[in-house]
Amino acid sequence: MTTDIQKADQEILRIGAPAKSERKINTSSKPLIEFKKVTMQYPGRLAVREVDLEIREGEFVCLVGQSGVGKTTLIKLLTIQETPTTGEVYVAGRNLADLRSKEVPLYRRKIGVVFQDFKLLPQKTVWENVAFAMEVCGFSNAEIAKRTEKVLDLVNLGRRAKNYPHELSGGERQRVAIARALVHSPKILIADEPTGNLDPVNTWEIIELLYRIHQKGTTIILATHNRQVVDRIQKRVVLMKSGKIVSDQHGGKYVI
Amino acid sequence: MSYKLETVLRIVKLGLNNFWRNRWLTLGATLLMTLTLTMISVFLLFSFIVRDTAEAIRSKIDVTIYFTDDAVADEKIMALADRIKSQPNIQEVIFVNKKQALEIWQRLPINEDVKKPVSDSYNPLPRSLQVDTTDPDEIQGVVSSIEIADTEKLICNECVSYVKNKDAVNKLVSITRLVQRVGLFLSIFFGIIAIFNVLNIIRITISARSDEIEIMRYVGASNAFVRGPFVVEGVLYGVLGTIITTLFIVLVSQIASGYISITADVLNLSFGAYVLHYIWQIIGFQLLIGVILGVVVSVISMRRYLRA
Repeated sequence: MTTDIQKADQEILRIGAPAKSERKINTSSKPLIEFKKVTMQYPGRLAVREVDLEIREGEFVCLVGQSGVGKTTLIKLLTIQETPTTGEVYVAGRNLADLRSKEVPLYRRKIGVVFQDFKLLPQKTVWENVAFAMEVCGFSNAEIAKRTEKVLDLVNLGRRAKNYPHELSGGERQRVAIARALVHSPKILIADEPTGNLDPVNTWEIIELLYRIHQKGTTIILATHNRQVVDRIQKRVVLMKSGKIVSDQHGGKYVI
Repeated sequence: MSYKLETVLRIVKLGLNNFWRNRWLTLGATLLMTLTLTMISVFLLFSFIVRDTAEAIRSKIDVTIYFTDDAVADEKIMALADRIKSQPNIQEVIFVNKKQALEIWQRLPINEDVKKPVSDSYNPLPRSLQVDTTDPDEIQGVVSSIEIADTEKLICNECVSYVKNKDAVNKLVSITRLVQRVGLFLSIFFGIIAIFNVLNIIRITISARSDEIEIMRYVGASNAFVRGPFVVEGVLYGVLGTIITTLFIVLVSQIASGYISITADVLNLSFGAYVLHYIWQIIGFQLLIGVILGVVVSVISMRRYLRA
């Protein structure tokens, strides 16, 4: 890594220190994530219409609504897989549309993403899957070894390190994916239907893990249509319907 | 972007791993690359042969000036040679003195009875100047150049001789040129077909790994890093293709050496030796084409996966 990159790295995201476990959400400070009148028009389909949404540092936000209402589109806008047709997305005060293409990978290292289908590499072991995320970013082997061990312990998979994904249960696979997302110590963890493929027991394992990560100060965005999960977490619930946010409640429940 | 050695090694390792892991696909790509390179090499070799034999035939068209009058001093002939040499279109002027003429005479494949009377003591053979031209098509120009250079009028009538079957030779030369052009056209044509196939199979090997590319991007790999292993693979296709093609060509040319006589007849080289003579040029050409093709096709094919 050159110093240039490190400098750019610092410039891109000054997201501040991680919140303490008991830290109250500071509603007066600038939001960490801000959608401003964001519209996303796909050919023949309006996925998101004029969405305004603010998420503060340290929040746990459940993004709920039925399939196809635009949750995944919002997430894709956050990970810069898509750029909004109109409107702006700000993260840590910076308009994502202004990021140069070289800065995009550096930005992505600051956000962890977890998917319904895990997206693990089948030919790599648990350890290699997690280490891979650091390898591709140019970390030294020593750093990678240290950090991989740490996150695998965090998701309680240390003893499965040498197994391949197909030898794991669904819940374990998702925990590997979460470990991989956490390897860069992201300030934001985005989970897109992480429990969609899991049975209730595994679902709770994952939700508990997300909750623990949240307690350590990471901002979490959880997109789900699982009513029980949302009702039990009792966090901020943002409900979407056909591309719009129709309700936004703290300590909320999943109401349609 | 500057990389640490560790990162470069990592990229090379990833490329090699991918190559091995998808070995059936990459083997297919390597074989297609081999086919492409073989085709290009064969045509390259073919055009070398056509060029060299044409050159050899054309170089046999030279002009010889005989000096039947032994009274003319060697020095005067040498001076004339220098004047001819300064004319345009002249490549070289060689003076053949009486002794050399005798040696040539004795080597001629003719009846010994005819040869015998001529010896050191009785040598009626004329001295001569052998004039090599740069462009055999311009024999007439050379003859007039010689006339201009002959300021002292040393050259007698009918003493300038040149190949009388010039037209036949020229016809042969123009046929070889035609063959060369057809060869070039065919090599381009088949080359395009082969390149198209290489392109397609490399696209398949890349789309087989679109998941991996996606994941690399999610975890924040730079585009250069994502591209790296594919560049390594592209280089591998080129290098392996070159090795296989070269082994194939050398093997076949050594086996076929006894059956292909064109090079032996015209160039005094067996076909096998001829191929070996050019082998480094062929290898260099293959490596250049193979590596550039492999890398360019890989990078182009994966470009769509790198769009944000």
